[in-house]
Amino acid sequence: MREIEQVWTLSNAPEPADAARTYFVQVDQSKCESCGECENWCATGAIQPADGKNGPRTVVDPAACLNCGQCLYHCPFGAIYEGVSFIDMIEKALADPETVVVAMPAPAIRYGLGEPFGLEPGAYVGGKMFAALRKLGFDYVWDNEMTADVTILEEGTELVKRIKKEVDKPLPQFTSCCPAWIKFVETYYPDLRDHLSTCKSPIGMLGPLAKTYGAEKTHIEPAKIFSVSIMPCVAKKFEGLRPELSDSGFRDIDATITTRDLAYMIKKAGIDFKSLPDEKADPVLGDSTGAATIFCATGGVMEAALRFAYEAVSGKTLKDVNLTAVRGEKNIRSADVPIPGGPTVKVAIVYGIDQAKQLCDEVRAGKSPYHFIEVMTCPSGCVNGGGQPIPPGTRMADKSPLEKLRFALRRTFNSRATV
Amino acid sequence: MSITRLTRRQFLKAAGATTAFAATGLSFARTAYAAAADYLQKRLAAIYKHDAEMPLRKSQDNPMVKALYKEYLEHPNSHFAHHLLHTHYVDRSDGLKKLKAKGAKLKM
Repeated sequence: MREIEQVWTLSNAPEPADAARTYFVQVDQSKCESCGECENWCATGAIQPADGKNGPRTVVDPAACLNCGQCLYHCPFGAIYEGVSFIDMIEKALADPETVVVAMPAPAIRYGLGEPFGLEPGAYVGGKMFAALRKLGFDYVWDNEMTADVTILEEGTELVKRIKKEVDKPLPQFTSCCPAWIKFVETYYPDLRDHLSTCKSPIGMLGPLAKTYGAEKTHIEPAKIFSVSIMPCVAKKFEGLRPELSDSGFRDIDATITTRDLAYMIKKAGIDFKSLPDEKADPVLGDSTGAATIFCATGGVMEAALRFAYEAVSGKTLKDVNLTAVRGEKNIRSADVPIPGGPTVKVAIVYGIDQAKQLCDEVRAGKSPYHFIEVMTCPSGCVNGGGQPIPPGTRMADKSPLEKLRFALRRTFNSRATV
Repeated sequence: MSITRLTRRQFLKAAGATTAFAATGLSFARTAYAAAADYLQKRLAAIYKHDAEMPLRKSQDNPMVKALYKEYLEHPNSHFAHHLLHTHYVDRSDGLKKLKAKGAKLKM
């Protein structure tokens, strides 16, 4: 085990066939102080006292866990570890001159990667991120924001078809970018699978495009490509291993790392991140738009989709792209969006699995008034995902003396209850 | 340990601790929450700031996306786009049923 930006991690890279039985998140019971903070963040109850009372916690079974990682993000004792890491595999690929290693960074990375290097929270470091990836030895840097845009065209078109009843798929349509949300539907609401957009997530699209279109355009043999998904997310490690993601004729995604993993690799390589110049992604699969970058915020996918659907349905230019009606901090929001020459689209935006469950129950009961629902598991979206740098003040050593006392009392009370 | 069997001394100790817990819990939970929210707001604000600074702000205007469809995928939801970019979902409820049959208790 090694410590990666305040999270202990096993050096275990499972095969796709074993992914469903792998613990992506687990508790080191020798470090767990039984404070119960993790349970506050776990909607499914997958994390619970191992003794059934109030002792050290454990993830009961991979079948129940969504791999969102919010528990390990918030554990004051750093007692929850990641069970999967592809860092060794990537370093091997980078060292092999025959392998063409492709980096595919998600939108949220550029709003989090600065923090481990002492920059302000939210500092935009997209340019330095591209430069750092090249310094690490990646042969191509293709931007996941590019396929966020592709996702909008695919998912927006699908939505219009569902509304016009051109396809035999039900409404509302749910977004399908968030891997913890997808696993939630597959596990807890499998009867609602037809409501999920059939679109792969943006990284699920970039993997196969890198090994087909990208390879063709840059004259690389696709078999030589090793594609690395870089995500603010632990659950994306599971998504990358889904056996069905092999439509390029190869594994679409060869390895997945988090923002923390990338920061670890940059520090390990001795790269002075703060003084790097601003660079751009590589051509063919490297352009981005504002619609793509907001994918990592709650309401962002919805706003991007509406910027597209408005023009696609009405044939008119959307003059003010700031659709503030779908922005906000509340964990359930809704809006009616009139489209000239089309219907008034009823949308809902939700983050948190507890809230998503309420909307699932509505859909199951046939009472959902919406056309399109955006779901993200993590609070406020991917930018606060389980794979992002741990905010200061989260771990006990960072807490104020009175916060420490509060946790000490909570621990005492928890252990008293077992007497 | 039942509350009726507590000694007077134990009762006072527990009551004091409960009061302290409630007091510190409330005020410090609020401070901690505010600090975390502030952190989050900074990350969120940065995203919308960057969006507003981008020369292109609609997915359909991305030049490389246009080229991708023109040269390769034809149009959104084309047969080929479906092959490469769309997927199906698995029913995973079996694992959950087995787990519950073994007596595991979950929140849902």
